[in-house]
Amino acid sequence: MTYNEFKDKIFKLAKEKGFEAQIYYSKNYEFSIRLANGQMDEYKDANSSSISLKVLKDGKIGSASTTMFDSPERLLEEAITNYEIIDSKEENLFYDGSGEYLDIKSYYGEFEKLSVKEKMEKLNKMFEIASKDENIMMVPMTVYAHQTTEVAMANTLGLDKTYKGDGGYAYLSVVAKDKSPRSGFWYGLAPKPENLKVEDISEKAVEEAKAKIGAKSVKSGKYRVIFRKDEFASLLSAMLIPMISAENAQKNMSPLKNKLGEKIASDILKIKDVPFYEGSLSNASFDSEGVPTKEKNIIENGEFKTFLYNLKTAKKEGKESTGNAAGRGIAPINLLVEPGEKSFDELLKELNNGIIITSLEGLHSGANPISGEFSLGAQGLKVENGKIVSGVEQITVSGNFLDILKKIEVVGNDMWISFGGTISPSVLISEIDIAGNE
Amino acid sequence: MCYNLRENNNGGEIVLSKELVHEIISTVLKYGGDFAEVFVEKRYTNSFEMKNGDLENASSGNSFGVGIRGFLNTQAVYAYTNDLSRESLLNTAKRVGEALGEIKIKDLTLNLTPKEIENKHIVLLYPEDITKKKKVDVMKRAYSSAKNYSDLIKQVVVRYWEYNQNILVANSDGVFAEDNRVRTRLMISAVAEHNGVMETGFYGPGAGMGFEFFDRIDVEEAGKVAARTAVKMVKADPAPAGKLPVVIANEFGGVIFHEAVGHALEATSVAKGASVFAGKLGQKVAAECVSAVDDGTIPNAWGSTNIDDEGTPTRRNLLIEKGILKGYMIDKLGGRRMNMEPTGSARRQDYTFAPTSRMTNTFILPGDNYPEEIIANTEYGLYAKRMGGGSVNPATGEFNFAVNEGYLIENGKITKPVRGATLIGKGYEIIQKIDMVGNDVARGQGMCGSISGSIPADVGQPTIRVSEIIVGGRNK
Repeated sequence: MTYNEFKDKIFKLAKEKGFEAQIYYSKNYEFSIRLANGQMDEYKDANSSSISLKVLKDGKIGSASTTMFDSPERLLEEAITNYEIIDSKEENLFYDGSGEYLDIKSYYGEFEKLSVKEKMEKLNKMFEIASKDENIMMVPMTVYAHQTTEVAMANTLGLDKTYKGDGGYAYLSVVAKDKSPRSGFWYGLAPKPENLKVEDISEKAVEEAKAKIGAKSVKSGKYRVIFRKDEFASLLSAMLIPMISAENAQKNMSPLKNKLGEKIASDILKIKDVPFYEGSLSNASFDSEGVPTKEKNIIENGEFKTFLYNLKTAKKEGKESTGNAAGRGIAPINLLVEPGEKSFDELLKELNNGIIITSLEGLHSGANPISGEFSLGAQGLKVENGKIVSGVEQITVSGNFLDILKKIEVVGNDMWISFGGTISPSVLISEIDIAGNE
Repeated sequence: MCYNLRENNNGGEIVLSKELVHEIISTVLKYGGDFAEVFVEKRYTNSFEMKNGDLENASSGNSFGVGIRGFLNTQAVYAYTNDLSRESLLNTAKRVGEALGEIKIKDLTLNLTPKEIENKHIVLLYPEDITKKKKVDVMKRAYSSAKNYSDLIKQVVVRYWEYNQNILVANSDGVFAEDNRVRTRLMISAVAEHNGVMETGFYGPGAGMGFEFFDRIDVEEAGKVAARTAVKMVKADPAPAGKLPVVIANEFGGVIFHEAVGHALEATSVAKGASVFAGKLGQKVAAECVSAVDDGTIPNAWGSTNIDDEGTPTRRNLLIEKGILKGYMIDKLGGRRMNMEPTGSARRQDYTFAPTSRMTNTFILPGDNYPEEIIANTEYGLYAKRMGGGSVNPATGEFNFAVNEGYLIENGKITKPVRGATLIGKGYEIIQKIDMVGNDVARGQGMCGSISGSIPADVGQPTIRVSEIIVGGRNK
């Protein structure tokens, strides 16, 4: 059965039973080559598609999904049995597709044009650069990958939208020789192969590992730190993104509830959500409910400006959706920290004496976006008189995330784009708790 | 309650014919490769979410897909599709073969004989046979119990997750085997608020069982565990920072062994030499009081299966015995690279992932000490009563994990609650610093993420003491 036949059948059957219906169809292509110590460890070339259905009546929604396009009747039946057990009084809605949609380019098709040989060459190059360095004893993993996603979304209220996007990424992990082994990891992503600089990625991973040679822990205490751009992006993804969800605030699960209009961060911090950022793989003109995306300020001059809404949470507060529905939750399209004026080197000088955090571990477990507390394993670099002097291992950083936002002294201008579309420069924090082995 | 006993493979007819499976394998070998494997998966999933006592989300999914893998010596190629037409499957197989290259097997005789595998994990109440309302009733019980635990509890989120997975694995070594895996899990998160501070508690028991699981566990008690953690922690001071002796409670405390040691014993890292334990079989790697196993055969355990995802029967693998390294967890590709036999440890999230060596139910074996004795012998330290998740870098052994519910131990007694502690260290150092092992083994359930996706795994241990570990907390 084709997608259109399937959709028409479902919509007709749903209407007959008194339901509105919405279909989300996605088709994915995934290609990746992974080397283990230079040898092909996994070569993946794969297609899959799935269809999810939502039915709506009296403000309640039931969902079901399938990868088999054989029985629209069965999918509808399943969604309705799920609908029947919902007892939430909250009002859900569908969007009718009105309003203005940005014209965003998200598909380039350039990765698909590369031959397997060309991709292998890039991968081998990454491996060679890393393995020829005399300090590197092993390159356990090298990956070159790209994917294409196609989405079609439609509902019985008239929404009918499609999306096609693609992009590629590459990463590697290396191990440097030392008394105990030192690891280095780096990745890059880009919408087009010409922007995915595999040489740079490889050199960066090597540099990461080498910087840790001879690394030691530090004395427990309070330190001035720089969160390097990539790690600050990770911390924001784990902590700020769940906190700015209107749903979490409404459900008593965000420390930002009741803080709208209050100063929650340093004066110099400005954070936005943007539907398009050059180089990001998360750009989108509509959200997972089909609502058009738009730019908005989240934190401006330290002041908390808005939560992010989907249709349901917006209706509850008599507002309009901000176009931030994401799967079953709410998330920014691209969370962007506006860059400051200082380069990373200037940030180092401002730091003078302290630690650069270059790696945070355990974000999925040691960072709690409901309490705002985090306590994470970390690695970094020690800075004395504005210069990097040695590696730092076996430390933890801990604090309250909102407290940290207030302690941002300087925002850099070096921008980093993460997989999930969090875009951030490095930031200098005046004080943070570090635990070490002394 | 009345049970209907049923045969294995409930509703599990795999719709690919044996002939087609044979043809797929032959196609991979014809174009290249010296080994071919087909993995067919059919799965039915339900997931429900309740907030404030109301069921907000209910969704279910049916998925069906096929993964095709080929080896050439120690190189591997994987593809998957959920277009199940013969043409698409053979085309996918051809792409796998071609990617593997030049070597062709000329005289191929495939002998695919379905093997009867004893089902050690009897399911009494299959997910599709129980009304959704009954499942929601269980969630409500957990909700009420957590919510009513204390006035400080401001929010309770209950999630229910179950699936029924049927797999067929066939390969050019003659394996042709099916398995049926049913998993059921209840997850409770509680949020407590006190003087403007919020804290959370979590408990998520699960098993390789059907709905009968809820006759085996105390649902109300599960709700209370989550609520108690949140209430204790919301009034707690920050944990101290620095190096301390740490007593880690049983059950989910075993996440320390899982992260700090288990991952580094997987062929995935050992075969590449990218593990601190590579080449150390027979050597002393841990304190003498430490013995540990990975056992995929425990009836109805969260991480158990009859066969692994390559069709090898699961077994109990001794990893460490009295401090001596006895074994690794090995999949076929890892086995080829290490020149060792697979250990029934190949696992994958679903058909979109190639399998690799993973843990099943991993735990430290019991020792001689009573848990009370361990506490009483500790003058000052941290008592990690409930652990959160963690992670590790197998190449360096550096691990970290979160303590969800912690207390200070002062003068041999558990005293005040402390929050926000993270434990870090290097796995190979920590297992040498375990100096007391209790006699109270228990297992807890978690999801383990790695290169073959997110899979259910049990962790476990008795109460143990680590003589010193870096605790990430606040400085005075």
